[in-house]
Amino acid sequence: MNFASVAIEVLSALTAAANLFIIAAGLSLVFGALRIINLAHGSFYMIGALLMASLFALGRPEILFWPALVLAPLLMAGFGAILERLLFRRIYHAEHLVQLLLSYALSLMLADLALRIWGADTRSVPTPAALAGVLVVGGASFPLYNLFVITLSLAVGLGLWVLLRHTRFGWEIRAAVEDAEGLSLCGRNVPALFTAVFALGAFLAALGGAAVAPLQAIGPGMDSAILVSAFIVAVIGGLGSIAGAALGAAIIGFFQAVGTLWLPTWAPAFIFLAMIMVLVIRPSGLLGAAQRAWAEED
Amino acid sequence: MTQRAYGGGISMVGVGIAALLLVAAPWVVPTSWLLVLENVLVLALFATATNLLVGWTGLVSFGQAAFYGIGAYTVALAWLHGIAPFSLAFVAAPLIAGLIALFTGAIALRARKLYFALLTLAFSELFYVLAEQLYDITNGANGIFGAMVPALLISPRIGFYFTLAVVMVALLLLYRIGHSPFGLALQAIRERRVRAEALGLAVSHHELAAFTLSGAFCGLAGALYVVHDQTAYPELLNWVKSGEPVIVAVIGGISSFAGPLWGALFYQIAHDALVALTRDWQMALGALLLLVVLFRPGGLVSLLGGREER
Repeated sequence: MNFASVAIEVLSALTAAANLFIIAAGLSLVFGALRIINLAHGSFYMIGALLMASLFALGRPEILFWPALVLAPLLMAGFGAILERLLFRRIYHAEHLVQLLLSYALSLMLADLALRIWGADTRSVPTPAALAGVLVVGGASFPLYNLFVITLSLAVGLGLWVLLRHTRFGWEIRAAVEDAEGLSLCGRNVPALFTAVFALGAFLAALGGAAVAPLQAIGPGMDSAILVSAFIVAVIGGLGSIAGAALGAAIIGFFQAVGTLWLPTWAPAFIFLAMIMVLVIRPSGLLGAAQRAWAEED
Repeated sequence: MTQRAYGGGISMVGVGIAALLLVAAPWVVPTSWLLVLENVLVLALFATATNLLVGWTGLVSFGQAAFYGIGAYTVALAWLHGIAPFSLAFVAAPLIAGLIALFTGAIALRARKLYFALLTLAFSELFYVLAEQLYDITNGANGIFGAMVPALLISPRIGFYFTLAVVMVALLLLYRIGHSPFGLALQAIRERRVRAEALGLAVSHHELAAFTLSGAFCGLAGALYVVHDQTAYPELLNWVKSGEPVIVAVIGGISSFAGPLWGALFYQIAHDALVALTRDWQMALGALLLLVVLFRPGGLVSLLGGREER
């Protein structure tokens, strides 16, 4: 096994991990602020990719790629806000069985809806011309688009950090997590804040879908395929922690790269074993807050 | 949805009528209906076994398909590799499923609530991936199919009576377990875990016992699935399959023993009818589940007049 093939394998694992981070960050953000577990998150991701493909089909690819990459997640964020108002708002304080089933029911309906609108055929989105090339380093050629996805995920991580730590919006979210009633007594519109957080989560899921669109076939089944991986990443890192999602994505990326290179048969089993091991040792995930009420209260 | 009491939903008259109808069914209804009824019976057992955890103990498992699939694969693998005759494999299926449930339960029960649900889901996916990847043993994604069931059981009537008898006995056992002192202890754990512990109940042992029993009965349901379909394939073990008995139980009503039974009848018939008529089965199931979860947490039995004692 030479350097070039190992390097390419590592890059492709890193790309998958970077994309998973974007999606899992949305899942984790929503859980951290709203305490709900959203099994429809994978559907948001799929719809993001499908919207990307549809927007793309409207005209000339070299012009449309960048607007579509922003517009598709924005559309999904708007749709997410509507879903939050209609459905999720009702279950913030429900037990987790209700949350799991309601969001699962929604994911079934969205899968059917997507099948109606976009059909059963898979679609593809071409790589934009500016990113179609390769970067040659030490005899290995790295596709530029993969590097772009990794950069995008770093930007998303940085953006979320700034948003949550250094803006009024982030300050209000953290205040709402601590004491939603207190915050609303201070005159803040907490329900609107929650809608915004949910929409941001949907935006991130769809951004992951839109960004991955040129790398894979887009069609039915994308939703459940990504959901389990995104959950594993978020849970390993600790639900509610964005840094945890990054760590979880890195761990899963590492396991997948190692697995694919040396033990291809066992590679898919590795990530589940990793999750089981982490949860057994640290039931709230690596960076999750251990004593938080949602895991321990009776 | 807290503070449920586990009343009846089961009356002796109802059970008698249902038993008579089921015994008479092979002589009255066409064979195609008989196969649907067999599906209902297997699903009813799967959902009732899962409800021992979800409804009785308050443990939401999204991983019961692992044990269902292990039950199915026990019968199929015993045939494929010539390890054991059908009768032995069929008896071994729930025991092996129960044994594996004992080990996975010991690990999964270290986590609580949502994290428990996610751990069981991870186990379900782990076994699914293993069934798919260990090609030399399991035939991988192709699955196993062939004459793994004795010729006698392939005849629709005898197959139906066999399934009916096994499901009836299993349901009777589950009913007895659910209403025994052990079953009451499980309900105490669901309602107030800390208090049950303070009263001297060995909570974690009870939970593990419930998980093991549930796994064994799910394995039995899986073995019956093979009698019916003569095949085992990896999708029997994944998390989507794991969601099925939970959904069936919730639609029927997790608060009563009869809930999952009604749920299975309704789910299977609605599924078969909608799949035949339209392509929107998923949409209908999603919408129904949404409505039940939001507006009828007692499930179908609460519509049928089964009391929800509070």
